[in-house]
Amino acid sequence: MEFDITLDCLGLTCPMPIVKTSQKMKELSSGKVLQVLSDDEGIKEDMPAWCNTTGNEFLGSEEEGETIKVYIKKT
Amino acid sequence: MAGKMVVFCGSDAPEKAFPPFMLGLGAKAVDMDVMLFFTMSGLNIIKKGGAEKIALDNAPMPLSEFIKNSMDAGIRFVACSAAFGIAGMTKEDLIDGITIGGVASFVNEAKDADIQVSF
Repeated sequence: MEFDITLDCLGLTCPMPIVKTSQKMKELSSGKVLQVLSDDEGIKEDMPAWCNTTGNEFLGSEEEGETIKVYIKKT
Repeated sequence: MAGKMVVFCGSDAPEKAFPPFMLGLGAKAVDMDVMLFFTMSGLNIIKKGGAEKIALDNAPMPLSEFIKNSMDAGIRFVACSAAFGIAGMTKEDLIDGITIGGVASFVNEAKDADIQVSF
């Protein structure tokens, strides 16, 4: 999936991936896509939930071994 | 501001001391206003040197770091003045950045909060 910027949250557990995503998204302009790398299983449910609450767009996720890559678009 | 969450932090048991900060940071991540109300033994969490004595195996970070991150995120901390005597402390024992309040503060905040949680 194409993206504009990556946020490395490997090794971080809940709630830090969401906290860091929230901070990073504030820096992005509308329409930009953020890739978040995480090895916290909870991210798969948490990121769509965070997008639902904040109104940002959840584009999907991919898994590569232990690494979960999620893609979200700033609205 | 996307709503408000208030958390009643009434215990210094590790399983009860860590979750308020985890939840609070999560709520700040969706731009909610967050207030943590500390009372009874929960006051030990925000006592100088208190967080260092509360440890939880495999927690994402030490409690003191959770407190610092929460303050940096703009989470508001309120300490219940009525419980100082019960916890054997005075306001001078608190870490910096704490507002001192009472039940009226909690009720006033909780009555129009979207989420209320108690630990």
